[in-house]
Amino acid sequence: MEFTLTKEQALIQKMARDYAEQNIAPIAEQIEKENQVPDEILKGLAELDLFGMAMPEAYGGADAGYESYVLAMEQIARVSSGPAVAISAHSLGLSAISSFGTEEQKQKYMPKSCRGEYITSFAFTEPGTGSDPKQITSTAVREGDHYIINGTKRFITNANYPGPIVTFVKDSESGRPTAFIIDKFCEGYSISEPWEKVGWHGGVLCDVYLQNVKIPVENVLGELGNGYPVLQYGIAFGKIGMNSVALGTTLAAFEESVKYAKEKTHRGEPIAKFQAIQLKIADIAMKYEVSRWMAYRLGSLANKPKSPGDFAKEAALSKVVIAENAVAAARIAMDIHGSYGLMADYKVARIYRDAIMGPQVEGVIDMQKLIVAGAILA
Amino acid sequence: MAGILIYSEKSKLALELLTAARLIAKGTGLNIKILCINSDKQAEEMVAQGAETYHIKEQNLNLADTAAVASALQQAAGKLDASIVILSSNRRGKELSGRLAQKLDAGCLSDVTSLQVKDGKVQCARNALGGATIATQQIETDMQVIALAPRSFEPAGLQDSGSLKEMAIEIESSLIKVLESRSKAGDAADIEAADILVVVGQGMEQGDMVLAESIARALGGEIACSKPVATDKKWLPEDRIVGLSGKKCKPQLAIILGISGQVQFNVGIRDANTIIAINNDENAYILQMADYAMVADLKEVLPELNKALGY
Amino acid sequence: MNIVVAMKQVPDLQQVRIKNREPVIEGVPFTLGIIDKNALEAGVQLKEAAGSNLIVVSAGNEEVEETIKEALAAGADEAYLVLDDKLDGMESSLTASLLAATIQKIDDVGLVLFGEGSGDNYSGQVGSRVAEILGLPQVGYVSKIELDGTVARITRSLEDCEELLEVQLPVVVTVMGGINEPRIPSVSQILKAGRKPKEILDLDDLDIEIAEDKKISTLSNLAPETDRKRVAVKSVTELITVLQAEGFVGR
Ligand SMILES: Cc1cc2nc3c(=O)[nH]c(=O)nc-3n(C[C@H](O)[C@H](O)[C@H](O)COP(=O)(O)OP(=O)(O)OC[C@H]3O[C@@H](n4cnc5c(N)ncnc54)[C@H](O)[C@@H]3O)c2cc1C
Ligand SMILES: Cc1cc2nc3c(=O)[nH]c(=O)nc-3n(C[C@H](O)[C@H](O)[C@H](O)COP(=O)(O)OP(=O)(O)OC[C@H]3O[C@@H](n4cnc5c(N)ncnc54)[C@H](O)[C@@H]3O)c2cc1C
Repeated sequence: MEFTLTKEQALIQKMARDYAEQNIAPIAEQIEKENQVPDEILKGLAELDLFGMAMPEAYGGADAGYESYVLAMEQIARVSSGPAVAISAHSLGLSAISSFGTEEQKQKYMPKSCRGEYITSFAFTEPGTGSDPKQITSTAVREGDHYIINGTKRFITNANYPGPIVTFVKDSESGRPTAFIIDKFCEGYSISEPWEKVGWHGGVLCDVYLQNVKIPVENVLGELGNGYPVLQYGIAFGKIGMNSVALGTTLAAFEESVKYAKEKTHRGEPIAKFQAIQLKIADIAMKYEVSRWMAYRLGSLANKPKSPGDFAKEAALSKVVIAENAVAAARIAMDIHGSYGLMADYKVARIYRDAIMGPQVEGVIDMQKLIVAGAILA
Repeated sequence: MAGILIYSEKSKLALELLTAARLIAKGTGLNIKILCINSDKQAEEMVAQGAETYHIKEQNLNLADTAAVASALQQAAGKLDASIVILSSNRRGKELSGRLAQKLDAGCLSDVTSLQVKDGKVQCARNALGGATIATQQIETDMQVIALAPRSFEPAGLQDSGSLKEMAIEIESSLIKVLESRSKAGDAADIEAADILVVVGQGMEQGDMVLAESIARALGGEIACSKPVATDKKWLPEDRIVGLSGKKCKPQLAIILGISGQVQFNVGIRDANTIIAINNDENAYILQMADYAMVADLKEVLPELNKALGY
Repeated sequence: MNIVVAMKQVPDLQQVRIKNREPVIEGVPFTLGIIDKNALEAGVQLKEAAGSNLIVVSAGNEEVEETIKEALAAGADEAYLVLDDKLDGMESSLTASLLAATIQKIDDVGLVLFGEGSGDNYSGQVGSRVAEILGLPQVGYVSKIELDGTVARITRSLEDCEELLEVQLPVVVTVMGGINEPRIPSVSQILKAGRKPKEILDLDDLDIEIAEDKKISTLSNLAPETDRKRVAVKSVTELITVLQAEGFVGR
């Protein structure tokens, strides 16, 4: 058990931090206002290999391991959630292709995705379906060597970028959810205007309309009628990214609080001199510390999961703690800032809006607890 | 008797060295010799300040060839029996100091901002840790090379008893050829010499530079800037940079506009007599360094100030 | 041809805190000098243009072996390192002897690059001393370098002028901070850094002894005291009053 970073990990962390400070921080407010990450930032992040960090070298990845991925993503999210959310959702779809894809599928989609030329999506949610895959209504009907897909997918991150979208629909043969790889912007693919979200601006979210989308049979991902493992494993892997985003937000909340407590004065003294503030700072620091080691550990487990079930439990468990800690840390940071924190001029307002996104996304908190309980009581 | 040898290719800097050398001479009893290279004008000036001046006239001695100049100085130090060589810590001088120190097997201190003699030793102060601290150090070797930060000493005043001798040295053929030398764009304004400086940073907008310039003019001062304003934005030439890699200024008054106050900047202005800082961020460190601190937006203040000063 | 870049391990200055006027260096992680990174970037650009080999050299405590990975990630092909914990806080003259002896072990050196000053001390002596030991021409404060066969065309940027020089290779160059924007290495480059060749030397290999007597002794190293008035000024009218009271207007 060694809780230290290797030099390589420290450098990856620094690299991400330097890039975020130099290139993202100056436009963080712009991303916030426009709800869009400029292309040159996505390109810059891709050049640093952040789009294929944990993917095998053979398919164009950097093979850096998931714990390094967490370290880098944390630093990006610390400065701006948008680009980190985009990479997280991208990595979710990509890891599904990497884990369940055929050699041809991997060759076709992974190298370009790792280079950031494709930005991947993962589409499960539907207007009538949240946490429950049984309610999927989208369909795939076989016609010769093709499937014809119809349906609507809701809240799909990265739906606006070209690349593969791993889509869960019921196929007409098995009547059960099956994962398909669809090329975004193929004929019959269209998207809504981006949703205006409370936080995570720049992580673009659209509904996806699939109207008679025709894809070849070889685009089934995993087995026909057996989409569950792809879904569960995928979403579990997605939590690595979600954790990193929440962790970066927690770190930002911590840093902003310390800075503000030292700067803001009351009766001629910085408020950091008051014990009430000191206790709050300690609380955030402790939450950050817990979150970070859980997030790094999940990354490390992901490099070699014991079993899908075990990993799903670990992912669910860490997601709850880390997402809730981010919310709590942001709330405390808000208290330290007082009324000023409510003003858009202060970064903590954005941190707060970003923090409250985490618990509701990629598996709501209660569902995660049920997964944990299920694994324990099984 | 052993002595102090001073050299700078710039007369003004050489005169500052002379002041420092006289300070050392007083504490050590060493005598002072000035070296000039290929400049009759400088040689005459030095004589007029009462210096024992030696002139190397050797057209093949190329000032751009640091090795050759260091060799000339080494020969001169030998002939004149100098144990302390004082140079200026301008760019040429600093580059030269290391090479000469190596030739002389001497300890060397550069960027020295002040010195005092104690028990026959020269104690030098210089910035360390990027300017966060000031270190006091002394050289323990028999031969010493000290390079003084420009403007750290007043130029020496007139004195009688100057003398001039020519000195011959040996030079080797140079591996460095000067293809071109062009003066830097901009005005030779000397922010180190100015009594009043208006120093602008990244908190300025380019359109407001005219206002800052006009305020500087109204006060009879010069305009200077933080590093990014010259190197990134290129609104002013590099010779206007204040700070660690720019100039260390000691004006009577510095008005600092839209500068955050990083240590590398601060070392260049902390010796100002009076500092006025205007910044819209009440937490900007520069405000803590100021005698008069104003939290305000430059966009509003500059037109008003400019008007109040009579433009 | 080999291009050599000398880089110094320094404490990360942004993390140095001042306590009771004393700098607190303990526990501060090491990094490479900030201007040294410009020298490295200059080396990488020249290497890419000329297809040469880029070697980073550094002397310092054992940590340097780890710290130097940052340079290998950012484009150096190999490293020559002099490692000894006794080298902590060594003075410029010793650094120069070690680096020069190390560079002498490298064949076909065309260019030796330094930063204009180290991140911590900024004394700018080492490049000049190394040039002297190696008996090479040198150009300091460089803002541009072009290699052309056996010569380099180099721009030296002085306070008041720029000199365009033609120098016979090999030459020692110290670059200015503004010469370029150092690139940020990618994940793959970072991961490959550890696999690049490293030549580790110790003091015996170089036949250099650490002299007992220091050339320089440090008597004190303290943060300066500030005693500014720190009066808040609320309006331009008040500001004018201040300027008058201090005698800067209406004199
Ligand atoms: C920013 C953002 C990005 C997103 N990106 C994607 C994406 O890329 N791809 C994608 O497919 N989806 C995406 N989504 C959708 C998101 O994953 C779902 O909205 C989420 O899984 C929750 O579904 P729901 O909102 O329908 O909640 P529901 O499932 O309806 O849950 C509502 C509440 O009901 C309770 N609940 C529900 N089911 C149970 C149960 N079985 N037992 C006990 N309690 C229960 C819980 O308390 C829960 O909090 C995104 C959403 C957002 C906001
Ligand atoms: C080795 C090294 C050497 C260096 N040498 C130097 C040097 O010699 N000189 C130097 O200057 N720097 C130097 N630097 C750089 C230094 O670290 C800082 O980056 C630099 O000084 C910052 O410049 P600034 O204060 O203008 O910009 P910033 O740090 O960006 O500060 C701008 C300030 O303007 C304020 N502002 C913004 N808008 C307004 C407005 N409308 N009204 C009022 N205020 C406003 C902001 O609050 C902020 O405080 C060096 C760095 C290194 C690493």
